[in-house]
Amino acid sequence: MSAAIRADGLTKYYGPIVGVEDLSFDVERGEIYGFLGPNGAGKTTTIRLLLDLLRPTRGHASVLGLDCHRESLRARREVGYLPGELPVYPDLTAAGYVDYLSRLDDRPVPPAYFEALRRRFDVSDVDLRRRLRDQSHGMKRKIGIIQALMTRAPVVILDEPTSGLDPLMVEAFNETLGDLRKEGATTVFLSSHVLAEVESTCNRIGLIRGGRMVTVGTLDDLRRTSPRRVVIDFAAPVDGPLPGIPGVTIVSATTRQWILDVRGPLGPLMTALHPFPVYDIQAESFKLEDYVMQFYQGSRR
Amino acid sequence: MPLLVLLRRSTAQARFVLGGCLCLLAGFQLILVAQAASIEESQAFGRMADLLPAFLQRGVGSKALLLASFKGTIAFGYFHPVIAVLISILAVYFATEPAYEVESGLVDLELSRSLPRERLITRSLVLALAAPVAASIVMRVGTWGGLRMFASPSFEPPSADMLLRLQIHLVAVAWCFGAFALAIGAGARRWSTAFTICTLTTVVLYLLDYLAIGWRPAKVISWISPFEYYPAFSIMAGPVPLARNLGVLLTTALAFTGIAYWRFSRRDL
Repeated sequence: MSAAIRADGLTKYYGPIVGVEDLSFDVERGEIYGFLGPNGAGKTTTIRLLLDLLRPTRGHASVLGLDCHRESLRARREVGYLPGELPVYPDLTAAGYVDYLSRLDDRPVPPAYFEALRRRFDVSDVDLRRRLRDQSHGMKRKIGIIQALMTRAPVVILDEPTSGLDPLMVEAFNETLGDLRKEGATTVFLSSHVLAEVESTCNRIGLIRGGRMVTVGTLDDLRRTSPRRVVIDFAAPVDGPLPGIPGVTIVSATTRQWILDVRGPLGPLMTALHPFPVYDIQAESFKLEDYVMQFYQGSRR
Repeated sequence: MPLLVLLRRSTAQARFVLGGCLCLLAGFQLILVAQAASIEESQAFGRMADLLPAFLQRGVGSKALLLASFKGTIAFGYFHPVIAVLISILAVYFATEPAYEVESGLVDLELSRSLPRERLITRSLVLALAAPVAASIVMRVGTWGGLRMFASPSFEPPSADMLLRLQIHLVAVAWCFGAFALAIGAGARRWSTAFTICTLTTVVLYLLDYLAIGWRPAKVISWISPFEYYPAFSIMAGPVPLARNLGVLLTTALAFTGIAYWRFSRRDL
């Protein structure tokens, strides 16, 4: 069975500016995939290429095996989409807006599911009757999430879904993703800056920087491959050099304290430390935020 | 049907602009008939003929004198600069909607659904075609109402055939500008840019056609103006063959429409 979303050498140049370059990745069916990257990294460009709103300079992408450009109509029929900034017709009510969008194609909206989403995101009848020009940013965001999910499309693409939502609604959103993951019938491609959200909801993470995918993996993969800071305090001064251990690099070393970056398991380091008068060892746990920040800072440089 | 959904949404969004323009156009014709009736009652059209600009008489010939009559004044409502430009701009307004959708991001939501891209152009084309037709119909209603309210039965109104010919040419000119705007709007990222370019082009081409009446250098290039193919004075003077002028206008409109579809199908949104 083909991947839910596949990009193969996807490249988009805006004149001399690189949107994305040689982007290749697969999102498996039923997976919740977090797409992370700093501003201008190419996240929205990638999403817009998947929706055939942009045409690739080279490479191609597919949704459920359907080419995003050549079979665009069929591919888009399988997708629910929430843009980063929800565009609205200010004169429409929320109900009118949802109705308008649902009538643009012939995908049915199951009424029970729509009601369930409405309840979960606390959108009342009064909210539905109010014009969008009078709605708060958070309410518009909730309407946006509902319209993206309401057709139960097998692939859902969400661009910064929780921006502007209050913590209760973020929780409601995470619950919704949890339900989708349990059901396993929906693939979610989620771009976000909220790392905690990605960490708690996504099966896999793709990190993009400067238009190129820099890493893809599960949290466990990232945990295994990313260095952890280990601080070792000694009970007495030590002069001996740190034994050469694969995957260990010295950040700083004094007679009383070593600060090391360790990739992989800690076992070999523990064994090597046996002759030393170790007083305390602090190993920082893996934090996605730190991991991602290295790349963000790298892109700024 | 998605096209009907799009049409309904665009019409609803533009209801104040459309409604306002249609009321203005109907009111203008009503007032023009009232004014013509008043002049006719006071038998002042003879004196008006003396006031017609000499360059107009030289450029248009004796046909210009038709303006100084009851039926000529009413017919003028169908090629008055304000009316001709307003109806063309109404078509431009609807035709440039794709640029508004791109600018506002609405195109992302609409085309993230299984809606063919060209449907947005078709929607704007339908509205750009329908708006001038609706405008010409309400103008005719205004004329009819004005004649009923203000004109004495002894006054000679313009013939229905003459008004219909004027309407057809007026609508065809507006379609031409609408199609041009569709081609511009299909490639633009900002609605204001597309609308301004098309509006200014409409005004400049009207002025070019007007200048061509009495200024030879303008006459040389006035063939590029759609207004050149709206021979209002000749239509007032008597039946003229429709085919050539309408052929040019409709062929031009068709060409620009083709460009619009081509550009929109290939562009990044």
